[in-house]
Amino acid sequence: MSAQDLSIDRPARKHSLALSIGLALVGLNVAVALLTLFWTPYDPLNASGGRLEAPSLLHWVGTDRLGRDYLTQIMIGARTALIVGTGAVAIGATIGVTLGILAAFATRLLDDVMAATLDILIAFPTLLLAMLVVAASDSASLWSAILALGLAISAIVARLTRILAKRVLRQDYIVASRTSGTSWPGVVLRHVLPNIWPTLSVNFALQFGLAVIAEASLSYLGLGAPPPNASWGRLLQEAQGTVYTAPVGAIAPGIALVALVIGMNLLADGLRDVGDPTRGRSR
Amino acid sequence: MSALLSVQGLTVRAGDKTLVSDLSFSIGAGERMGLIGESGSGKSMTAMAVTGLLPANISVSGSIVLDGQEVVGADEKHLNRLRGVATAVVFQEPLTALDPLMKIGKQIAEPVRRRLARDGQRPSRAAIDREVLDLLDKVALPQSERIANAYPHEVSGGQRQRVAIAMALACRPRLLIADEPTTALDVTTQAEILRLLDGLVRETGMALLFISHDLPVVAQVVERVMVLRDGVALEEGAVVDVFASPSHDYTRTLVDAARMFDEALGGTGS
Repeated sequence: MSAQDLSIDRPARKHSLALSIGLALVGLNVAVALLTLFWTPYDPLNASGGRLEAPSLLHWVGTDRLGRDYLTQIMIGARTALIVGTGAVAIGATIGVTLGILAAFATRLLDDVMAATLDILIAFPTLLLAMLVVAASDSASLWSAILALGLAISAIVARLTRILAKRVLRQDYIVASRTSGTSWPGVVLRHVLPNIWPTLSVNFALQFGLAVIAEASLSYLGLGAPPPNASWGRLLQEAQGTVYTAPVGAIAPGIALVALVIGMNLLADGLRDVGDPTRGRSR
Repeated sequence: MSALLSVQGLTVRAGDKTLVSDLSFSIGAGERMGLIGESGSGKSMTAMAVTGLLPANISVSGSIVLDGQEVVGADEKHLNRLRGVATAVVFQEPLTALDPLMKIGKQIAEPVRRRLARDGQRPSRAAIDREVLDLLDKVALPQSERIANAYPHEVSGGQRQRVAIAMALACRPRLLIADEPTTALDVTTQAEILRLLDGLVRETGMALLFISHDLPVVAQVVERVMVLRDGVALEEGAVVDVFASPSHDYTRTLVDAARMFDEALGGTGS
């Protein structure tokens, strides 16, 4: 046997075009968001030019009706979007995966009750739920929006986790692992979570995109982050009145929003292909 | 000497359907016994009952004493300590018995680590790796490092079954339960796996409970057999006796069928 036989032939991980574009768009967003922590082109809160200026070398995307630099606000909006997406998905994943795994282990009756509850929660419109939570809290804040979206996502994640975990738990290798003395928590950590992760991670990426859109919608309705926190949704809403005289103000945050969400979706698509070692083989 | 496994009046029910009724047998340390029967005769149910792994909706009565401890009605914590120490199981379908997303070496490492930890050691990674490679060598897998680094779908069916056997051996059980370990394999591979199991059982001195519907296969590896049909034990005895002069009609038809099959293939029969 030659030395070459010592390695398994795995096709080089094919990074699809979708994954590359997705990574680039999301990466750009993250880079910009990090940059705003240290530097922005102008002070986001104070006028730095004339009102509703057209794009120029000084103000690449122009200024709003108070003379504030649009680019600065869009850059800070990227930070808001990332915080909302990450926060909501983190909350949704923590609650959702925990509940889903518990439901998969629960007795028949409890499982049925949980499944029905989740279905009802999912049927409830996300935005409406978010508006209720935001209205219930003292004042509209970024955190109440994140919490509301996180709760909505957790229902979806819990339902998905429950189904995936049940399917894994029926597999022979779970029994095989149990016969060698692995405890249930050990089975969950070693077998269930790794086996449902490829599907879950794709779902997380999709939910991230949806959370960003939902936050923009909430902000547009005045229920998201209150001023002076810049948010793409609020930029859109503020630009609404001047959309005919200064269309850039509406177009620019719109493009930023769409770019991040498309990037996230492409990333999800690409993740699906690289997440599973059994994929990409001849089928 | 008390038996390693002693089953008394085992009855397994699912709802109002009786899957195994009033089954009794025992296996001494190092003894090799076969359970024969067609699909649905309760063979696998018996094996699962011994490991205490039957689903919750299936009720078990009677007594199963494994390594001096009662299994029926024992709690999870107790059973977990017994599993792996007293028994390990090799399953029928080697592909589904391995976690598809975990490298083979890692899957074998876990029972190794647990066993060493049980013996009061804090094993180093290198020690575990060495043992994993040893085990892969023991089940006659070539290029053990390459196999350890592969995912289950990257090796062949026979190799997978060897890996499954290595996983069972990693526990160093006193009783190995082999549930139709060769059924999913082709005839050549079957013979190899049987030879391997036979050699390993002899070498390590563990007891073997071999479950199969295939008479010639059973005859090759065990000393004593029990014939099951619809959850009832029809007869029990030494392999030679049962196969040479079956006392029950059902056993006779099984033996005749196997013989006819051999003759049809031009074999001399056994």
